Amino acid sequence: MSSAARRRLVRDFRRLQSDPPSGVTAAPLDSNILVWQAVIFGPDDTPWEGGTFKLELSFTEDYPNKAPSVRFVTRIFHPNIYNDGQICLDILQNQWSPIYDISAILTSIQSLLSDPNPASPANSEASRLYCENRREYNRRVREVVEQSWLDEEDTTPAAAPAP
Amino acid sequence: MSLKVTIKRWNAVARWTWGDHVDGDVCGICQMPFEGCPPGVKFPGDGAPVVWGKCAHAFHLQCISQWLTSKNSCPICRREWEFESSQGGPPVSFFLLFQPTTHSFR
Repeated sequence: MSSAARRRLVRDFRRLQSDPPSGVTAAPLDSNILVWQAVIFGPDDTPWEGGTFKLELSFTEDYPNKAPSVRFVTRIFHPNIYNDGQICLDILQNQWSPIYDISAILTSIQSLLSDPNPASPANSEASRLYCENRREYNRRVREVVEQSWLDEEDTTPAAAPAP
Repeated sequence: MSLKVTIKRWNAVARWTWGDHVDGDVCGICQMPFEGCPPGVKFPGDGAPVVWGKCAHAFHLQCISQWLTSKNSCPICRREWEFESSQGGPPVSFFLLFQPTTHSFR
């Protein structure tokens, strides 16, 4: 059935292909256009540089009036990202607007990587290190960047052994 | 010698917009052209009117109405949404072009 949400997602997909944002890619599952897999590349000139981080976006039939639920599949160490990959980002919660599309969501998450908001921590250790010991914070970020390369060869990243 | 042209058939083609400042734009919510159909609407035009807020942002009536059930704010500027009261909004442009499709010379 071609619902409003599905039609909008097809338009989002066309837009992603015709005007691809830099550093992010996304595509729906063959079997279900409401579920998308995405990859965000760590922004250059930041400790995240070189990282390839996988995400999953789940839309409902209420899209674009309701935000999708978005989580990192790749393990991440970041003040605003929970250990299970859930993201604490205002535009995915109370600041959602129906004019956002997949491209806008992914580029916002990409800029959150290098520009965290330690005032609303989802990972208290990452938040504390970001504020008090940037050197150690950057080292932990480099760790997840390197881990993200290993995930790439593994079809089930969640099952990858901890380093 | 004079050239005689006989027009055997012609089709009238009309082009309309909701106004020059939204001509060719898409509704930010459904991403469909303002002159096209938002989801759930079969025919463009009166079936899918474009409405303006006091903030001057425009959407399909169906699209903004659906959004306003969850939050009373403009999706673009986040100001409290109030419909621009002038009936039907800005004037609608309408063009009529005559397009002969078949002709013969003799």
